Amino acid sequence: MTEPVVRLEHLSITYTVGAGVFQAVSDVSLEVVPGRVVGIVGETGCGKSTLAQAIPRLLPEPPASIGSGKILFRGTDLVQVPKRQLPMVRGTGIGMIFQEPLNSLNPAYRVYDQIAESIQIRHWRELGYLKTFQGGEKPFDYSKRPTPSAASVLSKPIVPPTLVEQTEGRQLRSRADFRREVLEYLRLVRINDPETILDRYPHELSGGMRQRIMIAMALSAKPSLLIADEPTSALDVTIQAQVLTLMKDLIDEVHAAILFISHDLGVIAETADEVGVMYAGRIIEYGPVDDVFRHPSHPYTKMLLRAAPRKYKSDGPLSSIPGSVPNLSRPPPGCRFHPRCPLVQPNCRGETPPLVPVGANGTHRSACYYWEKVPAVP
Amino acid sequence: MSRTGASVRRYQTGLGVFWRVLRANPLSLVGFLLVATICILALVVLLAPHLIVPYGPQQETGAYNRGPSWQHLFGTDGNSFDIYSNAMLALPLDLGIGVSLAGVSMLVGGSLGLVAGFYNRPGSLQSAVSVTILRVTDVFLAFPSLILALAITRVVGLGVLPVMFAIAVTWWPYYTRLVRGEVLALKHLPYVTAARAAGVSEGRILRRHILRNLLEPLVVYFTLDVGTVLVTYSTIGYIGVASKYPGPQPEWGAMLAYYQEFGSITTNPWLVAFPGLAIFITVLAFSLLGDGLRDILDPRTRRAFVRSTAHEPPAEATPSESGAGEGALPAVPLPEAPPIVDAQSGVDARGKGAVG
Repeated sequence: MTEPVVRLEHLSITYTVGAGVFQAVSDVSLEVVPGRVVGIVGETGCGKSTLAQAIPRLLPEPPASIGSGKILFRGTDLVQVPKRQLPMVRGTGIGMIFQEPLNSLNPAYRVYDQIAESIQIRHWRELGYLKTFQGGEKPFDYSKRPTPSAASVLSKPIVPPTLVEQTEGRQLRSRADFRREVLEYLRLVRINDPETILDRYPHELSGGMRQRIMIAMALSAKPSLLIADEPTSALDVTIQAQVLTLMKDLIDEVHAAILFISHDLGVIAETADEVGVMYAGRIIEYGPVDDVFRHPSHPYTKMLLRAAPRKYKSDGPLSSIPGSVPNLSRPPPGCRFHPRCPLVQPNCRGETPPLVPVGANGTHRSACYYWEKVPAVP
Repeated sequence: MSRTGASVRRYQTGLGVFWRVLRANPLSLVGFLLVATICILALVVLLAPHLIVPYGPQQETGAYNRGPSWQHLFGTDGNSFDIYSNAMLALPLDLGIGVSLAGVSMLVGGSLGLVAGFYNRPGSLQSAVSVTILRVTDVFLAFPSLILALAITRVVGLGVLPVMFAIAVTWWPYYTRLVRGEVLALKHLPYVTAARAAGVSEGRILRRHILRNLLEPLVVYFTLDVGTVLVTYSTIGYIGVASKYPGPQPEWGAMLAYYQEFGSITTNPWLVAFPGLAIFITVLAFSLLGDGLRDILDPRTRRAFVRSTAHEPPAEATPSESGAGEGALPAVPLPEAPPIVDAQSGVDARGKGAVG
């Protein structure tokens, strides 16, 4: 197994709002290795986005604060990195795709300027004009990372490989050089007619296009960890499918570690290799996507899967999970799902159940004392 | 369909867009032309006054209390001074006062507002600085600025420069408030977070992302403010503490104040009408220009104007949808009009800077 790009160890994040302290994320541990996609799925308000933004330390602190735990990015604890140095980690180290494509592009600049800024920063870092920080002792070696290029599977016209070689390790001097590289990334995200799109302002593009531009921006920094925070949620269904197809293609092409956040079980099932199910700030089940979705071992996962529409009118009305998400300023003791759980037993209110292996090979883990009874959950 | 639309569309930058927006918006054009005329006149008065100023400021012409005529465009006063010459000689001073006072206030107040808005993380030294700036601003805003300016002139003395100083002292807090509010709204927008996530440093975010989007309200406010400053200075001039009239350097407000004594507006209206009109036109010109500048600075309205003047059918303005749609079907090649043509036409239309 390759070394993980990022490893979270018992990460807890709280928001202090007025007198209340909300435990948005509690004791989350996970790791992402290059080339793998870890999905995080959960209801609204379960702490997914907080988790996503906490990794590159983008959360406004205060009100948010990282209570305990470590965010190990290539072996360096980002919690300890001083605030001034954080921009060095972002972009080239940790890239991010946001969920609001409509507002995530600066309305005052053309598409070219937006992507060129990100390329320029990476370029300055490659040349050593800008300090960058990639964790560990040795500086990050860019040459080992393949530039995202056309995979043979794809029939779309993408960057000719010669271009990639030309731009590699060479100073981007002129606007033409930048333009060429921006075009390369626009083609990478399957934008038709990139020469025209280049000169457009964000308000002239549709949501799907803007999301592609966002993805191109994030990729053009060549991140070793890419965090996609609900990249498809704000789009309508057809565009969602396109962006999802694109993301899946890119996951194959870009050899980055990817953390994919979504509330949509279908999206996670399509994209992720491993999935963590979050409830009220905790990961309550974690494992390979197939295992988790085929044999859910936590009552919440099981009920969440049942609440997702599968086929049009297959088996009567959709079920919902009774009760509501707990108030995170006073989370219920023990297992946070116990007030809504059909399997609840007295000891569920006592100590918080740990994540224990449930499968044969130990990769599938569940935080339920009674995971063996979960298949019986209606 | 969208391809032909895309290739027909012109992407103009710089002066082209400027001209198209002005043409689409006649009032802005009027404002722009007026401001241009005023500036040129002011320059001519400064550099070569004999071209358009026939008489000196205190030169007796021998014609007493005459109405407007070809000899004396704006008439003469009881001292037989030419009003047109005086009004013209006052132009560079009044224009300079308006632009420089508003400019200095914008720079000083705007920078303070930028600091107060951007660096206000709670519980840090930054926020202490920001709170201090805001409270000082409040103190200034709580006081009527005209009265404060008058009080300051009591301390610093009379004359053009002291009064300008007094106005500047009272003028910057408005910019601080405006800029701070805008920064607070802008800094939490997703694109700022996105830039931060892309590794852009805080300083660069402030310069490139926040300042650029501030520009539009700021420029509009500035152009309106040039007029307001001018009126304030003229008000102070009217009270008679700023400039002496008649004197070697006339000023519109002082002229108005002085000519009150010479007959009423019914008997010799030209005495007050022309200096008043000069103030009015200058203020109006800058206000109209401000409207036009806002349209130019905002890419959304800019493109809309360009589009409407180019008479393009609206159906062709949806290349984005078609682009996204085609992106979903990787197998479908585009039959006609290969992208190269678009690229070249795009480059040609852009003219400068775009090296294909």
